[in-house]
Amino acid sequence: MTLNRLPAIFGVFMTMFLIQEAFLDRINFFIGGFSLYLAIFMAWIMQEERNSAVTTGFIAGFIADLSPTLEAPFGLWTLVLTGMSYILATNIRAALDSELSPVVMTIVTVFGSSVALILFLVFGAILGEDVGSGAYVTQEIFGNAMWALLLSPLYVPMTVTLYRLTLTARNR
Amino acid sequence: MANRGTNRTRLLWVSLLVTSLFLITLDLRGVSLVSSIRSGTQSLLAPIQRAGSNFLSPISNLFEDITNLGRTKSKIDALKNENEELKSQLILNENIVGELDQLKGVLNLAGKARFKVVSARVISKGGTGTFGETIVLDSGSNAGIKRDMTVIAAGGLVGVVKSTTATSAVVLLMSDPSFRIGVRVAGSQDMGVLSGEGDGKFSLRMLSATGQIKAGDVLLSRGSSGDKPFVPGVPVGKVITVDNATGQLTKQGRVLGFVDLNALGVVSVVLDNVGGNPGDALVPQAPRPAPTVTVFVTPEPTTGG
Repeated sequence: MTLNRLPAIFGVFMTMFLIQEAFLDRINFFIGGFSLYLAIFMAWIMQEERNSAVTTGFIAGFIADLSPTLEAPFGLWTLVLTGMSYILATNIRAALDSELSPVVMTIVTVFGSSVALILFLVFGAILGEDVGSGAYVTQEIFGNAMWALLLSPLYVPMTVTLYRLTLTARNR
Repeated sequence: MANRGTNRTRLLWVSLLVTSLFLITLDLRGVSLVSSIRSGTQSLLAPIQRAGSNFLSPISNLFEDITNLGRTKSKIDALKNENEELKSQLILNENIVGELDQLKGVLNLAGKARFKVVSARVISKGGTGTFGETIVLDSGSNAGIKRDMTVIAAGGLVGVVKSTTATSAVVLLMSDPSFRIGVRVAGSQDMGVLSGEGDGKFSLRMLSATGQIKAGDVLLSRGSSGDKPFVPGVPVGKVITVDNATGQLTKQGRVLGFVDLNALGVVSVVLDNVGGNPGDALVPQAPRPAPTVTVFVTPEPTTGG
């Protein structure tokens, strides 16, 4: 990963974070909610090579931890997304074809988002955070997965375009 | 070569994981730098959230409106006629009217209890990925809002102020899984602890083995020392079911909150409790049936012909 890609990656995820916090969080999705930030992160990581993926995971996690409405300790999202990025970039990505189809990207994004949310809850619980009722947690995770699936025709092409824009000539 | 690349990735991964664990440790140990990063972010976010709130307020409840469409069909027909008449009289922004209603309701409640309050608009709320139930208000320490102040709406309790910046405040909603409040049953004065569960329902556990609850009981906040974080006497919710399982030391039940936490537009933060404990004065009154007006018409004999 070239260092001059870092500001672009930081800028993209910071913009997504602001959109999530200021706009998407205001919408009452009738089942659970939708984290565009998480969906874009998963679709992004699928395209990155291993070293870049891990660094991007750390940056995206750090930005997610900035959320002032977050009850969990600072660093929890950083831990989860850094871990997820490594798993996706090494294990999952290696098992797939080199050319990713939109369908595969959508499936991995939906499952990846759900796994990230579950890991966040589990690590949060280990650190002493209160976890809501089973019905609430299930609704939130299922709702996010459903919206991630339904809205994938919008955000997957957008993520691919954004990712290509951040590539330097050397990366291409 | 590939192996060396894998090792380098692994080394990077481990060092970043250790860094994130270090951040968690710093936060759990209460290092102020970490918490000030979040409050700094809130200061930056507040103007964007305010703009987002203004932009999105007409469509934020779009999904709820769609799901309620079937149930409200007949209401819509009736309202259409009424709407036509009202259109000619007054054209007002629906959002402003809704907010005014909420403001009127919450000021009524605060007035009854003689709470000194400051009202604020809800500009954002915690979303997926936080698993926390929070809202952000457009007023902060400049308006006198401080951490651990009670937040109320027209129906009753909303939550408690978690953090503030100069122009915004983050409120932990009573539905948050970490939320706990001491409550008493209006009338019997039996005490219990109410816990949030993430959705609109709450669990109640009575403190004493002799404490009794039944469906329909109204719960009020018990109040805290120095009125922080909770002022006394604020309506919290109504008991909907009582768990009668044997082997429990104290009674438990499920509670439905008085306030719809998904439809908050304007709330009030209690700055001071001037009137002391209002007792049971704030218990919501059941709606009284409107008296039926009967009009007798006596036909007059027609003249002429």
